[in-house]
Amino acid sequence: MSVRIGLPRGLLYYQYGTVWEKFLHELGAEVVISGDTTKATLDHGSVLDEVCLPVKVYFGHVCDLYKEVDYLFSPRLISVSARQYTCPKIIGMTDMLRSNFKKLPPIIDTNVNLRQNQYSLYQAIVSLGRTLGRGPIPSLYAWYSASKYQKQQRISYKDEPDQQRIGLIGHPYILNDRQISMNVINKLRKFGCVVETPEDVSCHQSTAAVKDWKRIFWSSSHHMAGAALVLMQRPRPVDGIIFITSFSCGPDTLIGELINRRAQSLNIPFMLLTIDEHTAEAGFITRLEAFTDMLSRRKKP
Amino acid sequence: MIISFPHMGNLSVVLKTLFSGLGCEVLTPPPISKRSIELGIKYSPEAVCLPFKITLGNYIEALDQGANTIVTCGGVGPCRLGYYAEVQRCILQELGYQFEMIVIEPNLASVWKNLRRVAPKHSLREIYSTMRLVLAKMNALDNVQRKVQIIRPREMKKGESDVLWNNAIGEIDDASTMVTLRNAWHGAERNLDTVKLKSSIRPLRIGVVGEIFVMLEPSINLDLARRLGHMGVEVDTTMYLSDYVNGHLFRKSKYLEMYKRLANLAQPYLGHYVGGHALKSIAHTISMRQENYDGIIHVFPFTCMPEVVAKNILPKVSEDTGIPILSIAFDEQSGEAGLVTRLEAFVDLLQYRRLRNASEWDC
Ligand code: SF4
Repeated sequence: MSVRIGLPRGLLYYQYGTVWEKFLHELGAEVVISGDTTKATLDHGSVLDEVCLPVKVYFGHVCDLYKEVDYLFSPRLISVSARQYTCPKIIGMTDMLRSNFKKLPPIIDTNVNLRQNQYSLYQAIVSLGRTLGRGPIPSLYAWYSASKYQKQQRISYKDEPDQQRIGLIGHPYILNDRQISMNVINKLRKFGCVVETPEDVSCHQSTAAVKDWKRIFWSSSHHMAGAALVLMQRPRPVDGIIFITSFSCGPDTLIGELINRRAQSLNIPFMLLTIDEHTAEAGFITRLEAFTDMLSRRKKP
Repeated sequence: MIISFPHMGNLSVVLKTLFSGLGCEVLTPPPISKRSIELGIKYSPEAVCLPFKITLGNYIEALDQGANTIVTCGGVGPCRLGYYAEVQRCILQELGYQFEMIVIEPNLASVWKNLRRVAPKHSLREIYSTMRLVLAKMNALDNVQRKVQIIRPREMKKGESDVLWNNAIGEIDDASTMVTLRNAWHGAERNLDTVKLKSSIRPLRIGVVGEIFVMLEPSINLDLARRLGHMGVEVDTTMYLSDYVNGHLFRKSKYLEMYKRLANLAQPYLGHYVGGHALKSIAHTISMRQENYDGIIHVFPFTCMPEVVAKNILPKVSEDTGIPILSIAFDEQSGEAGLVTRLEAFVDLLQYRRLRNASEWDC
């Protein structure tokens, strides 16, 4: 019987999950991914104190999974690109798991640290393979074939000229998790808006957009800030920016402020939406409505 | 050029010496007051951590009084501190201030470059002798403070050592040569030696771990160390300015070894550096347990990312090692009353444990 490896659907799963899944699969493991976030996931996550919602959610997903699997896949992602970090809570995630669960299956927590060089990615892959009893060559090959799946298809929306266009800025694990984000993307679409997120902007473009700033050392924030600038500064800028953040997210408090100020100077309306596990849906919708109403009033000549 | 900088404990004494020694005009911001905190809050993003707000308040007050250059530190992450300056500069510019901001990155090259910038005409020798005085002041302050914290719980007349401590700060601040500094320092220690002590008491020993700003700035931690001292507790602060400078800037081997030892201690609980001081918070807790401290107080600014990680791990450390830990998050609303209650409850608990352990030994 092949080993069962659990993959929590949270945090950087949204960026690298498909590749991980394929990779582990190639190595002959059975991969179990936790389901969508639910209210229960949130409840379980509240064990952790004072952390942001996405971290609680991740914790909740581990709760959903850990009894069913032989291993838990939760690599320590210290850095995913040169001279950058993820965020302290992501780096410390596995340790928080260990300290707060009584009985966990062994965690595959290989360090991934690309801050200084890319080479360490291969080290990480080889050491991952070793945990599963594979040699370096099969592991590297498995990674090679898995990474082909990285390029996911993006659905592009037709750009109606009279439609409102909103730049929705937030971490991928907030925007793509329907429970955490209160399904904000669909809600906005229902209001008839075109929604653009950082995922619609290439890394290359976003990096160019923030090159005048001091290098932002959190990779996700770096991309979010760059994407926001791209969306606001191109020939046809978005009509408004919604910045969605989780209460007590550190990087966002600073980056949100910088984006807000830039939006002000470009005369683009900006709204900050802060979520935590107590955010009520009704109030959330009201704020979205008020914002889009305001945008459409502005648009009228 | 009129230079100013943020407050953090006795940092102002040190920086004042540094910049005036380099021939610059220095304007120390007014001590942190309710007003500085309010100003900081008013212009900061709401959810940012406390040190951001306080230092912004310092800058505004200093600029209002005529400073035109702000010196502050940078950083390369992952803690927010490294990006403070960028955002604060932006906010201050929008408020209409004309000033220059010098951001010193935590490496000797950047320190050197910026020193040359503020003191272009000074010879190497002059810079060297200024630096020597600066570092000596730092050590003097830290050593006197350590001593005060040992004496406080034992003194007969409450508050006697505090008076001496304040005088010592003033004298060390005024000292302009190595000789006057040494006199001030040794004078202060001698004075402290004359404080009458209660005989034969063995005060509780509490280690304070956590984030540096909150730990060092009494106006923010509501004078934690003094309060505890007066409750009869010997406080050991695990981080002083000199530790920071010697370790992070000069990378002295003694300190590097200490960090290695600490990282090893923390390893089973926190396997990697997460920025800030989280690793040390955990490591010091373990090492103070080994040194038979009675308890640990963990302090940090509300929402501080690295310390929040530590906070979620420390209960496990406490459970495994048996040392009680009290975590306190400080924000602008932290009230005195709440703090006192929590401290008293904690001290009672420790006292009780000590009695219990003692009686277990008896039988
Ligand atoms: S980046 Fe922000 S939201 Fe994401 S894990 Fe870190 S603190 Fe939480």
